[in-house]
Amino acid sequence: MFSVKSVVLTSALALSAVFTGWQAQAQQQGGGIVITTTPEPSLITNALSSAPTTAEIATKIFDGLLEYDMDLNPKPSLAESWEIGEDGKTVTFKLRAGVKWHDGAPFTSADVAFSLLKVVKDYHPRGKGNLGPVETIDTPDELTVVLNLAHPYVPLMKGLSSLEAPIVPRHIYENTDYRANPAVNAPIGTGPYRFVEWAKGSHIRLERNPAYWRAGLPYLDTLTFRFIADSATRAAGVESGEIDVATFGTINPVEMRRLEKTDGISIAYGGYEAIAPVMMLELNTAQAPFDKKEVRQAVAYALDRQRIIDTVWYGFGKPARGPISSFVKGAGAWTEEGVRDYTVADRLDIAKKLLDEAGYPAGADGKRFKIVHDVATFGEDWRRMGEVIRQQLGRIGIEVELRTRDYPTFVREVHNNYDFQMTSTWSIGMADPTLGVQRNTWTKTINKEVPFGNVSQYSNPEVDALWVAAQTEADPAKRNAHFHNLQRLLVEDSPIIWIMDMDLVAMQRDRVKDLITSPLGLRGGLYDVWVQP
Amino acid sequence: MWRANGKYVLGRILHGIPIILAIVIVNFFLIRLAPGDAAQVLAGEAGSATEEYMAQIRAQFGLDQPLWLQFLNYMKNLLVFDLGFSFRHNREIASLIIERLGATAILMITSMVLSIGFGILLGAIAAIRDRTFVSHVIVILAIITYATPLFWVGLMLIIVFALNLGWFPTSGMESIANPVTGFAWGLDVLHHLVLPAVALSFFYMALYTRLMRASMLETLGQDFIKTARAKGLGNSHIVMHHALRNAIIPVLTMAGVQVSGMLGGSVIIESVFGWPGLGLLAYEALFARDLNLLLGIFFLSSILVVVTNALVDVIYTMVDPRIRLTGGRHG
Repeated sequence: MFSVKSVVLTSALALSAVFTGWQAQAQQQGGGIVITTTPEPSLITNALSSAPTTAEIATKIFDGLLEYDMDLNPKPSLAESWEIGEDGKTVTFKLRAGVKWHDGAPFTSADVAFSLLKVVKDYHPRGKGNLGPVETIDTPDELTVVLNLAHPYVPLMKGLSSLEAPIVPRHIYENTDYRANPAVNAPIGTGPYRFVEWAKGSHIRLERNPAYWRAGLPYLDTLTFRFIADSATRAAGVESGEIDVATFGTINPVEMRRLEKTDGISIAYGGYEAIAPVMMLELNTAQAPFDKKEVRQAVAYALDRQRIIDTVWYGFGKPARGPISSFVKGAGAWTEEGVRDYTVADRLDIAKKLLDEAGYPAGADGKRFKIVHDVATFGEDWRRMGEVIRQQLGRIGIEVELRTRDYPTFVREVHNNYDFQMTSTWSIGMADPTLGVQRNTWTKTINKEVPFGNVSQYSNPEVDALWVAAQTEADPAKRNAHFHNLQRLLVEDSPIIWIMDMDLVAMQRDRVKDLITSPLGLRGGLYDVWVQP
Repeated sequence: MWRANGKYVLGRILHGIPIILAIVIVNFFLIRLAPGDAAQVLAGEAGSATEEYMAQIRAQFGLDQPLWLQFLNYMKNLLVFDLGFSFRHNREIASLIIERLGATAILMITSMVLSIGFGILLGAIAAIRDRTFVSHVIVILAIITYATPLFWVGLMLIIVFALNLGWFPTSGMESIANPVTGFAWGLDVLHHLVLPAVALSFFYMALYTRLMRASMLETLGQDFIKTARAKGLGNSHIVMHHALRNAIIPVLTMAGVQVSGMLGGSVIIESVFGWPGLGLLAYEALFARDLNLLLGIFFLSSILVVVTNALVDVIYTMVDPRIRLTGGRHG
């Protein structure tokens, strides 16, 4: 099975090989690639939206203060260096000199202060999480930025990439209605690529930014994003060579396994360490039968995660041990020590016993009770996963009825009305659990107004205390201890059944080189991608 | 005759205005019955929204206003042909629709020409050569294409002609990787147009073939054809001058219906072939609950239906001079 380490290792090897000229392949300037993604975004300025396709495109146009290596350590980007104050309540960034916006205007500290405080913190859906404790920003000179925090906040340094906190031009946005500003669909950034055109319903074209501050980069002349609604057509496009890269989720797992065997096409692993998605079943803990811990645990025991991964997702993932994806292991937050293991040999017997104890004995026909499973409307594969779950829960006497609805109806009924019993979804954990994982089990995120929060309505003072402590704790070791305890508590209580640490893989033509060099994968800047002519 | 027709068309279109208004009103309230709103969809796509974010979006989209106020605003704007603003696309709806109209029009017109042309030809041959091998083959082919799902036809064409033979691109309307301009661009679009247009023609061609065959058979059995034969006219003369014009009326009626469904009818083909047309736009608008955009498209298609119906009536009179149009009085 693939691991983060091996990806880091191979990409490091590949890079050093290139730099030392040991390998015959050298980066080539020029050419372009076509990337297919879906759905077509509604806007392409990711300071105002965190929709996946918006992020995939905008991260090429904008830069963040920082970037990250595969172990999620910060690297310089618009900020050349940084220093965290003694008390952890100030962070000083020294900015890169000579950086220009795509329209030629100079980039300064005023842009950073404006972007973080006035745009990202208020308008990016994860802005409050990433920058919440940032109260004021000082700009003593044009190239210095000082962030003043209400309390120490370790996750801050994990959320300053162009994905989470893109720096936008103040001279374009200040004193305008941001979302109505024409620049949101023809953005001006400092990033490696400039916006050229958006042919609605067809494609968005970006071109090389010749004035990019990384001299000589990017290698590609053009980067084009194509929108194709049908998944079989996307696969055909990759097969025919009209499309060079297909982003995660745009090609069905079964098709990916077929295409993988084709000459000139391969699967691009890695590049989701900082996204850390986990697939899960959320249980409504506010009503019977899932208000009883024993019933939830019985479900956790009854599911054969490996089988779901193999039959539905064609091996693109590994069984989840808890809320935090094992793909962020490098940061030390993940553990399996002392975490209840639901994959033991006699798991079905344990599950049946738990249901007996909970007051749901098997009837004469072996059936105990019936539930409705609202299948996430993210595609056919989710329906198939529902069918496997129905079969597996049937073995311990739980009858499952599957319900599929169109996307807006699904969101309203499940995520806004909490009118459900069991629902499937996937949730991005982000580089730090406080930024992503927290929202699924924290009492404060039980909120009918905001979808994709704590829909299980799980509320446990002990868990809440740990989440809050982790938010303000400055010592990384102590924070990780909090996260380890959270995993033990949450997996024991199982308000959510964590199924799979997802491989957010992309599909690529082999002529595309060095596609994944960032823990954000295709949501990185793609400035070092090149093509073999 | 032309002046009479002109008056008739004008009358029909004037009669159409209250119909279009009624359609707009019904649509406005009907599509709001669908659960979920645009803010929820956007928040869902964001994956991690806050309450402030939801409130901002609702306020910006006007979703926080009472329904009657939203309705009054919509009708007021419609009177000056302002279709409103799509917040999802961050664009004026009128310009959004016009931009996509071209792609749909070229696809639909090509496929109509193909399907009507071949439909009439095959149907006529099947009727003239009734109960021969040729007619059996045509009838069976028509039944098969009529019963085959459109998306499957599309995918099969892609697999055979784009992937295996490599004759055509798999999708899109123009070359994205190596864009061209001018005359070469026109050829490039035509190259991309072949597969979707053929796929879309299949279904209607089958329909027209069957209609044409039945209508032709009936016509050929009528007395005036016998008279013509008795006069000693040649077979081809009879078919071309006597039978065809009479038999073609049902096909025209059906073609009128096809045009009316033009804006929405090609959703499947547009999505399979990644064709950037209006069908796809409407389809996405529905799932994103972009209701203003959806209303705009409905509004345009209702206008198209009214105008097309009037035009088809006029074409009847040109094909068959016995048909007279009687202005607005015919009820």
